[in-house]
Amino acid sequence: MNDRRRINGPAGATLAPFFDDAAPQDLDTRSTRSRPPNATRKLLLKTGVTPSASGSAYLEIETSAKPGLSGLKLSCSVHGPRALPKSAPFSPHIVLSTHVKYAPFATQQRRGYLRDSSERDLGIHLETALRGAIIADRWPKSGVDIIVSIIEGDQDRETSKLQGDEVWDMMNTLSGCITVAAAALADAGIDCVDTVAGGVAALVQDADDGSAPSIAVDPIPSEHKRILAACCVAYLPTRDEVTNLWFRGDLPASDLDLYTSLVGHGIQASKNANRVLIDCLSGTVG
Amino acid sequence: MASSQHVLLSPAELAYLHASLSLTPPIRPDGRSPTQFRPLVAETGILPGTNGSARICFADGTEAIVGVKAEVERTAQRPGEETVFLEEGGAGGDGDDEEEEAGQGLDKRKGDASWVEMTVEIPGLRDDDSGTAFLAAMLSEALLADGEFAKRLWINRRFHWKLYLDIILISPPLSYPLPLLSLTTHLALLSTRLPRLKSEGDEDPFFDDDWAAAPYLFPRTTSSSSTPSSTTTKSPTPAATRPPITLLVMAVGNNIIFDPSKEELAVADVALAVSVTGLSPSHETETGGGTAGEKQTGRNLRLLSIRTIDPPSRLTAPGVANAANTAYGASNGTSNGTQKMAEAEAVEGVWRPPRGGAKRMVLGALVQKVLERGGVVDEVLDALEGADSG
Repeated sequence: MNDRRRINGPAGATLAPFFDDAAPQDLDTRSTRSRPPNATRKLLLKTGVTPSASGSAYLEIETSAKPGLSGLKLSCSVHGPRALPKSAPFSPHIVLSTHVKYAPFATQQRRGYLRDSSERDLGIHLETALRGAIIADRWPKSGVDIIVSIIEGDQDRETSKLQGDEVWDMMNTLSGCITVAAAALADAGIDCVDTVAGGVAALVQDADDGSAPSIAVDPIPSEHKRILAACCVAYLPTRDEVTNLWFRGDLPASDLDLYTSLVGHGIQASKNANRVLIDCLSGTVG
Repeated sequence: MASSQHVLLSPAELAYLHASLSLTPPIRPDGRSPTQFRPLVAETGILPGTNGSARICFADGTEAIVGVKAEVERTAQRPGEETVFLEEGGAGGDGDDEEEEAGQGLDKRKGDASWVEMTVEIPGLRDDDSGTAFLAAMLSEALLADGEFAKRLWINRRFHWKLYLDIILISPPLSYPLPLLSLTTHLALLSTRLPRLKSEGDEDPFFDDDWAAAPYLFPRTTSSSSTPSSTTTKSPTPAATRPPITLLVMAVGNNIIFDPSKEELAVADVALAVSVTGLSPSHETETGGGTAGEKQTGRNLRLLSIRTIDPPSRLTAPGVANAANTAYGASNGTSNGTQKMAEAEAVEGVWRPPRGGAKRMVLGALVQKVLERGGVVDEVLDALEGADSG
């Protein structure tokens, strides 16, 4: 029985013609770095964003890859110091536990709700960086939880191919985590020897013609042709000490100067972030 | 975390240990020199069901087994790259051969970090323990840092090897297991062989049944004449690099100490895990580059990764100086003032856990010591190569 109440489409389905005469895809959409090599991106830092936590902070880094796209967004809350449960063994120091978690929608590839190994790895890095800064023996028998959630990862959505950039993105993320966690710790009033901040520097090669690689501070992986090596440094400026150093790449051992200057640039980036951190904290107090 | 397990040493013992390790030369509890490793027993090829395996047993009783398994996996095709379709597989293969003859030096192989999967299992720790994830990330990071290793797993444009590295610590972790796991992984990778490829171009891969003809993943320089097959299949490979090793180095006072035991790590000021790889000595003359003129000893090392290890010394209990101890006549009032004083000044012979980070100079010195030509890394690599071939 035919359906006469409706006007049905033709029986044989057709496909609308599609003319592929639009401008051919520009394969080399790689944007180039517009900042000078020793300038970091702009940073927004705010403390006291989560009222229920004893300390909290929010960090946002602008992206210069594409206008209109936002970069890294981190939120950190600190719970504690609070008494350890009775069942826990005695500890002469504050027990630090750090959690770093990407929101499921933070990166190009969806993250699950359980922490995967890279998030655990970031958590350990963060713990190492903070443990050096906190004066731990002022709170025996107590614990503090530091939770960093990455609301938006720092990834260029235009690049369709994954080229191992996630690894370098992790370094940028870690440096942001360190800075935001330091701000949240200060907001919670936990004694530290100094404010710790993170900084990243990378050895990049922009041209294919075998020219000498250069060092760029606060690199965006999608802006460079190749990243040869990168390091993330957590640095205490007044004590001139490094609490966490994470280097990764491929450098000849004969060229130790390159490594030294890479770490030096990382410290420079960390000093820049620290200036923002100090401004933010003194603004809260004053 | 595995490095921060509780150390059952009193503050007085820690202070004594710290003092003796700060002497020049340092006196270590087990009488080793600062650059000496713990004696170890190593063997390779112990598991017949794997592509490569190794076992190392340290003298303190910690023991690890590593098994390497390889599977053929289809490479995910992404739009935008030179996509290969099944129909043109054979034709593409022919074209490839011609191209290869034309430009021998051009390396078309690609690698991806997801082709290597590493798991670490440590008894007594939960599967989802962060310390285990940290160890696995550190070891695989060193392996993948230069991008050359993943390229070795390339079969053709449609298929690749997926390599599973399973690291199992058999004994309880009596010391921070990083050096042990790294050395065992190195040995297992040295003994890893993949079946010889018979198919050509982008065909579905087809392998030689003869296990004796299977080339090593890291081709051996000495045995290349005895197995001529390996030289024909892997001709474009720069066959000089070796698997990386990760060393644990720590600084106490002005001294740099390699391969610390658990007690030594408990008084460390800084601890670093440094991953390096070395080019085998026979190849270094051609890759030597700038310093080829002078006589070189040892191999060309490359720095792959550095990570700071949170030293367990930060978690130890501080000692109490006699001046602040009520049992020795200190005022028993609200001792806020005395406590502050105790926090401020260091008293000779009273243990205080380190606070703050490490100076840049110290970190630089640690890395420099590891990368020294003809230094500890060379010794370790030589010993491991001996263990593998012997």
